[in-house]
Amino acid sequence: MSSSLVLRSTFSRSLVHRLAARSVTHARYATSEATQFKYVPGGPIIQGTVNDPTTFPPPSRSHGSYHWSFERLLSAGLVPLTAAAFFTTGSNYPVIDGLLGVTLVMHSHIGFDSCLVDYLHPRKFPVLGKVATWTLRTATVATLVGLYQFNTNDIGLTELIARVWTA
Amino acid sequence: MQSLLTAGRSVHLALGKRAFSSSARRWQAVPQEKPVLMKEFKIYRWNPDQPEKKPELQSYKIDLNQTGPMILDALIKIKNEIDPTLTFRRSCREGICGSCAMNIDGQNTLACLCRIDREGSKNTKIYPLPHMYVVKDLVPDMTLFYKQYKSIQPWLQNDNPPEKGEHLQSPEDRRKLDGMYECILCACCSTSCPSYWWSQDEYLGPATLMQAYRWIADSRDTQGAERKERLQNELSLYRCHTIFNCTRTCPKGLNPAAAIAKIKLELAVD
Repeated sequence: MSSSLVLRSTFSRSLVHRLAARSVTHARYATSEATQFKYVPGGPIIQGTVNDPTTFPPPSRSHGSYHWSFERLLSAGLVPLTAAAFFTTGSNYPVIDGLLGVTLVMHSHIGFDSCLVDYLHPRKFPVLGKVATWTLRTATVATLVGLYQFNTNDIGLTELIARVWTA
Repeated sequence: MQSLLTAGRSVHLALGKRAFSSSARRWQAVPQEKPVLMKEFKIYRWNPDQPEKKPELQSYKIDLNQTGPMILDALIKIKNEIDPTLTFRRSCREGICGSCAMNIDGQNTLACLCRIDREGSKNTKIYPLPHMYVVKDLVPDMTLFYKQYKSIQPWLQNDNPPEKGEHLQSPEDRRKLDGMYECILCACCSTSCPSYWWSQDEYLGPATLMQAYRWIADSRDTQGAERKERLQNELSLYRCHTIFNCTRTCPKGLNPAAAIAKIKLELAVD
């Protein structure tokens, strides 16, 4: 038990030294100190001794409570907006129509982004994670542009759903 | 008394009749032989001394009627009588130390608090806590878990201690800590949380977060703002997606999900 621990810690230390030199050129992400080295799925790399506490990333409210509150308010706001869309027609109330579209897209973006942070975070997937994040951003912007075109030049979101529903 | 008895017996003997009373041996209930109730336990085995050998489930059959009622009793019986190489942590055998946390039939729980299912036809599978590095057999590596617990500074911090005597607290304030101070840090909840599985290196996990709130909620602690500020990032706290596995699995019946929800609320209105 103790011998394996010693082995592991010496192994990790040598790895850490090698990776520290390499990670200088790597971009830093807003994560704690523990992840400035390459993510190694095969084994735990304990930073320092077993008695050192883990570290926290630098505090940022826009990634923390503001993000969370915004997301919850957006979700709560979708409820009356969806209800309103039942009783209005998009052509008569273009503001509600547009608001519903934008809120839906933002809600979806935050949801998908949460999946990416969970499963494809750049600290673990330096290439794929970035690709996925930018794909999502592109898709969101494209959807917003398309929605704007559709709402201004065509029947609009609410009207479309109503027609598909009765089709 | 003795003399009376012997007197009575001598009278019977003298009359040449059999006494109604039978011997003490025949009064006793016949010790009932318990039927044999064999049950199969399939236990995760991995030995670090043989790293080339893959982890496997090893099967043990024991007689439940010769075993105590809990899974831990079965494990100890297997280790004592069948296979002394079986490795697991245990200490108090009454659910207060948190050593014997393991995954029993798909549920993270304490082996000492988990009754053996007495259905003999079904086997019971025992694994170490999921998504932890395994030291040997049922022993997971808890190093990171303890380091994370240490990172929230789980001790009373008060920059204005009373002149003399202890910190005083109203019964209402004390009641806020109920349901949190009982946590024994067995890591059943954290290791049942999918978010903790994927982001263990950054997300603190339900056990540590509930202890973080235990100190935020303590009226005697004055560092609440700093404690909350540390959680203001994407990963430490907000990887909780309210999955509730923590609350469902807690062998002590605590509610880490509620504590995390309260942290989120306090951060939101902060």
